[in-house]
Amino acid sequence: MTNVRAPEADPFGSPAPEPDGQPRGHLTGGASGSAGWLKWAWRQLTSMRIALILLFLLALASVPGSMLPQEGSDPAAVQQYFTSHPALAPVLNRLGLFNVFAAPWFAAIYLLLFTSLVGCVVPRTFRLAGSARALPPRAPRNLSRLPRSASYATALDAGQAVEVAARVLSGHGFRLRRPGGASEPADHWLSAEKGYLREAGNLLFHLALLGVLVSVALGGLFGYKADRLLVQGQTFADTASALDEFHPGRFVTAADLAPFTIRLNQFTAAYIAAGPQRGQPASFHAELSYTARPGGPSRGYDLQVNRPLSVDGVKVYLIGHGYAPLFRVTDARGQVVYDQATPFIAGSSGNFLSEGVVKVPDAQPQQLGFTGVFVPTAVDVGGILESVFPAADHPVASLIAYAGNLGIDSGVPQSVYQLDTAGMHRLGAAPLLMREGQTLRLPSGQGMITFAGYDQWVSLAITHDPGQLPALVCGIAALGGLLLSFMVRRRRVFIRARAAGHGSTVQVGGLARTDASGGFEAEFASLAAELRAAHRRPASRPDSAEGK
Amino acid sequence: MPVNLALGHASNDFMIAALVIYSLSVVAFAGDFAFGRPRRAVTTSAAREPSAALAAVGAAADGPAAQGPGPGADGPAEGLAVTDSVPEPAPPPLRAVRQAGPWVTAAMALGILGAAAHATAVVTRGFAVHRPPWGNMYEFVTALTCVAAIFFLFVMIRYRAWTLGLFVIGAVVAVLGLAETVIYTAPGQLVPALQSYWLAIHVTAMTLATGIFFVAAVLGAVYLAVGRYSRRVAAGRAVPGNPIVGRLPGMEQLDRLTYRTIVFGFPIWTFGVIAGAIWADQAWGRYWGWDPVETWAFITWVIYAAFLHARATAGWRGRRAHYIQLLGFASLIINIAIVQVFITGLHSYAGIR
Repeated sequence: MTNVRAPEADPFGSPAPEPDGQPRGHLTGGASGSAGWLKWAWRQLTSMRIALILLFLLALASVPGSMLPQEGSDPAAVQQYFTSHPALAPVLNRLGLFNVFAAPWFAAIYLLLFTSLVGCVVPRTFRLAGSARALPPRAPRNLSRLPRSASYATALDAGQAVEVAARVLSGHGFRLRRPGGASEPADHWLSAEKGYLREAGNLLFHLALLGVLVSVALGGLFGYKADRLLVQGQTFADTASALDEFHPGRFVTAADLAPFTIRLNQFTAAYIAAGPQRGQPASFHAELSYTARPGGPSRGYDLQVNRPLSVDGVKVYLIGHGYAPLFRVTDARGQVVYDQATPFIAGSSGNFLSEGVVKVPDAQPQQLGFTGVFVPTAVDVGGILESVFPAADHPVASLIAYAGNLGIDSGVPQSVYQLDTAGMHRLGAAPLLMREGQTLRLPSGQGMITFAGYDQWVSLAITHDPGQLPALVCGIAALGGLLLSFMVRRRRVFIRARAAGHGSTVQVGGLARTDASGGFEAEFASLAAELRAAHRRPASRPDSAEGK
Repeated sequence: MPVNLALGHASNDFMIAALVIYSLSVVAFAGDFAFGRPRRAVTTSAAREPSAALAAVGAAADGPAAQGPGPGADGPAEGLAVTDSVPEPAPPPLRAVRQAGPWVTAAMALGILGAAAHATAVVTRGFAVHRPPWGNMYEFVTALTCVAAIFFLFVMIRYRAWTLGLFVIGAVVAVLGLAETVIYTAPGQLVPALQSYWLAIHVTAMTLATGIFFVAAVLGAVYLAVGRYSRRVAAGRAVPGNPIVGRLPGMEQLDRLTYRTIVFGFPIWTFGVIAGAIWADQAWGRYWGWDPVETWAFITWVIYAAFLHARATAGWRGRRAHYIQLLGFASLIINIAIVQVFITGLHSYAGIR
């Protein structure tokens, strides 16, 4: 960011420099009472020093958001933190530290910052509009006191010398000012100014930042995010009930969901099989078929991590995958009461050792439940199962069986990934260890279970964010404004010519108000050399020069 | 595509060669301090009035005085009692290097050779792994130091700031040495999340900006050290005329050089963040999600923005502003060395085991 606020030491001699931290705003003049206080507060808020402090606060306030787990990005980790820090977590939670970027105090900082910005940008815009119409100031008396200066002699008389200089400078796009009627006839000078785009770029940058904020808000109000876990061979329609998670914006309802359906035909994950990177994923492909609207044609799509599917203004992303072992459960009556793929979730031990739960409410005489792990490439390390490779090269399932009441009918909502064993008793001491295709008899004659194989699942993120494009446009505009304000320098060049001998002496003075990327020195040197050459060119001899 | 091991080994050899050549260059820069030609730090023109400090550092450091007498009046105006005082262009870089003395010439030659070996190492690594060679922490650090070295050599030649080579190339040697010993990672493939052309856009911008901010941080540290010495002299606690400080550019020039470096790096960082947001939208379904690394990139951006604002705020110019930019660089280092390595997030690609 560059200085929207005018720097205190303004070499261009616009209004008096502001004292330390005191802004010069459009609000001036003494007032008393509450109005005076308001003006004072507003002036403080829009001062550069307060803006600086707010910037620091913004940076500082972001830090806890990266150090503590956040509700927005990882709610499970927040739950974990509550379990491991039972005393501290509620305190942090009350301070909003698990949701920093939605916390009121965080919003207070950036809203104050943007208010401060508006308070500066708006009067600044008016001033720019004014200065874009105004002429540069009169040339100072003594140009050799300016940061850059040059002088040389020419055979032209003073009036002609100024005319020639005017031609050269306007050829370079400078805006010119010459003596008005009031000045004495002997006074030959010229003021030239260039680089108004710098300020425009500065304003563009700051306004574009405001635009980014508005775009983010737009996305939050009119967009939505959803998740859906989809097992190979399954189809789902984009309706609120079919989604695992649905986070609509304030002005979004389930009726706004795009009516597409997606089927996962096949998921393939490839892993590096050898070398130091063994086990690292090399590629993920989810082969989908989708229909944009009911009854529409079905199309195929190869969904990959960096290749989302765009359908009906909504984007679908591949954000996760896992295994869904197939279990077939036969109860004590000999009836098959469960036969389906059950998604298991990869745990923290690596190589897709996944955990999950199987609930069999239809089993008779007692309901059955299983907790356990799916190990894609199993190795027995001292009695403990470990997975040594993420691909399912040697899949093994290990389950602990329970019988009793699953508690599903109690009315309390249950997670499909957790088994409530309060009303159940464990069957047998040893876990049921099964290779693919193996069937085991359950203890106490409760039936049989078969580990029939596995499917894979993917988790899809479905997002709609109408603020996305505006945010991008504003981001690019901000960058453009930044580049303009850094690369364009606002500078003035002054010419004075005084009669001397048969010709005159030409003085050139130069001044750059802002020269962030440097280079005014070189520009001035080449301009001065060009002016001198023009003043000494025979073509610009007195007779051919333009009138005074 | 499998990793090309022969090219991978060649890259490692070039990297070691670069490290050795850089070290020799640092020795030569140090030799210039010890035995080099005496040099004035500030010319009269820059000292004349503060506003004249707009002069480029090089011209003020050891180029011809900008206000010096020109070649004299010629052409049709002869006979007038006026001397030309049109600024002359600075001498071309090669001549300026030779004018700076044999130590600087040797140091520059070695520095350029070292940077060439370094760049070759980075490029061969890229060919070995068939992708832009900044996919893990080791690759990122070797690439950003390469940017820092090349960018600084350019700055040094453009602004004739020879004496700063000791500090910047010295810092490059230290960081590159750490990268080789502590975080070396053998060439390998990338996880699917990184398999995107956005790697070439987002991470390249971040690497460039980090290398440039690296140079700014070293310059800022030199600025603060010189400032501290000046204050100690003013307080009577240090002997004036320190030969090392005397050879360095003045505070004004150091300040301006640092500012311009950051002005160059800041838009690149901004672009890198925007490119990262576009990529995040491609890969993760949202353009900004306050992932730890995103958060710290934002913090860095805000602090450097504060630096740019501080330069226009009374009471914050100079020393305070430089503390701010060093804080900005510290946040960058925290992001690279702590957040990406120890905090789990979507950006956990460091590859350090």
